[in-house]
Amino acid sequence: MVSAARYWDAYKEVWRLNVLTLMEYKANFFIWLLFTLVYHGVALAAIWVILTKFPSLNGWQRTDVFFLYALWMVGHTLNNSLFFMVGDVPDAVREGRFDRMLVRPLDSLFQIMAQPGQNFPDDFFVSIIVFGIAAALVHLQWTPLVALLVVMTILSAAVIDGAVQLVVATLSFWVIRLDALRWVVMSLENDFTRFPLSMYNRAVRIILGYVFPFAFMNYFPATVLLHKTADAAQFNPALGWMAPLVAAIWAAGSLTFWRIGLNRYQGTGS
Amino acid sequence: MIIRAEHLTKQFKSLRRKDGVVGTLANLFSREYDLKDAVKDVSFELEAGELVGYIGPNGAGKSTTIKMLTGILVPSAGSCTVDGVVPWLDRKGNARQIGVVFGQRTQLYWDLPLIESFRLLRAIYGIPHDRYEQNLKAFTDLLDLDEFIRTPVRQLSLGQRMRGDFAAAMLHEPKVVFLDEPTIGLDVVAKEAIREFIARTNRTRGTTYVLTTHDLNDVEKLCDRIIIIDHGSKLYDGSIDAIKERYGGKRVLTADLTVACADIEVRLPGTTVVSREGHRITIEFDRSRVRADELIVELSRTCELKDVTIAEPELEAIIRQIYQSGLEPLTAGATT
Repeated sequence: MVSAARYWDAYKEVWRLNVLTLMEYKANFFIWLLFTLVYHGVALAAIWVILTKFPSLNGWQRTDVFFLYALWMVGHTLNNSLFFMVGDVPDAVREGRFDRMLVRPLDSLFQIMAQPGQNFPDDFFVSIIVFGIAAALVHLQWTPLVALLVVMTILSAAVIDGAVQLVVATLSFWVIRLDALRWVVMSLENDFTRFPLSMYNRAVRIILGYVFPFAFMNYFPATVLLHKTADAAQFNPALGWMAPLVAAIWAAGSLTFWRIGLNRYQGTGS
Repeated sequence: MIIRAEHLTKQFKSLRRKDGVVGTLANLFSREYDLKDAVKDVSFELEAGELVGYIGPNGAGKSTTIKMLTGILVPSAGSCTVDGVVPWLDRKGNARQIGVVFGQRTQLYWDLPLIESFRLLRAIYGIPHDRYEQNLKAFTDLLDLDEFIRTPVRQLSLGQRMRGDFAAAMLHEPKVVFLDEPTIGLDVVAKEAIREFIARTNRTRGTTYVLTTHDLNDVEKLCDRIIIIDHGSKLYDGSIDAIKERYGGKRVLTADLTVACADIEVRLPGTTVVSREGHRITIEFDRSRVRADELIVELSRTCELKDVTIAEPELEAIIRQIYQSGLEPLTAGATT
């Protein structure tokens, strides 16, 4: 067995290389930083514009929707900081870089995630600030229980997000190119999580609630945090607390699927 | 014995593809497969410290064999062990004791100085610091890495990059190193440096090498033993000298004459005139049927010879002949 210390050592080394790469390409880093700000700025502006026309959506005020977006963003950017490179699996397989990981004495999925090129946590820090502002705007009362739900939700959201991406990435052991699917799932997540799920039709509710469980990243917990009892009543009120369970199931499922895909790869080499 | 392959077999199942738009759509639902034997019943044994050339034409099954020995692929049948470890059952355990150099794919990080890739590998393999420093120094000296170890890999020449790749593959002191086309695209000087390094480490550290290459000069200069495979099966396993003896009975005599050789005929059994160019005649002859001195005497009967050279068969020519004539596979070790 390779000790956890070895993995930690390797992870630290990767981050050191990441910082060095960053210094190698400073301009690139600042442009990414700018992109992060513009990207989230545009998304928030879009929400603002829509809510100027319709000040309330299904009983959700502007600030509530802003809070919904901010909550999703914290989990999503945490996922980016940890699991961003999962999306590299298809390219690594196609370019043969994955074989190199298989002849090294560490877990191959770990090597995929921990490789130079990883995302910087800059957008995670930005999101925490944005979330703090959003929480203040909706007058969130920081009781211990609320704090617990918020932290649990953010951690679970990162895991759910990462697990969904791992499932999509694992498909590349069967299908060589699937950038298209990746974009479909990404836009499902990015676009549909911005507004309360209760305003969508049945199909979207089923997809975001049960197929790709992005609603657990922000909407269900937000119904509890913001006391949206009318919304909660349309679903099961307990769903607001279920993110950790969904995350655990998705993590276990996606890892099993990864093992199956890896076995197939080692069986066929394709 | 460090590597043992027993009846190693790998079958690939590939979808039978149809062409065109309709065919491509049909492919999505097709369940027709073709089975292809990439490696068929290959057995061999390697002693620790051997330097073996594993050769064969494109698509012969070389890489597939290497992928099974390194734990990347699981065989369909048969088995192998590398220093007692079954690669696909204990992939990580196997990874610790092997090194792999892919000539066409670097494992170095493009954007960073060479030394940074080494540092990451130290962490990945868990090499103790003192051993790391010791090995790094040894390889730096052997490969002259000093002049470019702090240069970003993207700025290195191909020869420098390959030297870096060799050091990277060997920092953890692997017992067995698999080389896949290690000198591809290198100039003469760089090739020589790499070959020198392989020979040195084989001698001084006892590293076992399995060398897969199309450059038979690499094989001729480095290996005593070669294994030839084609269409997935082993054709030959033995020494280079033996294969030359066995398949290289032909010699080529080139003679410069004092007169034009347009109408010179050679009437000896087992000889063929390959070319006549001005004053130079080239004759291929079978050593078992005619001796060189007989041929020279026969030639000098009709004209005066200014110069004569007799060339040994090139390994390349022999191998080409083996690929083309499709010899019966030999039994394991028959010629060693």
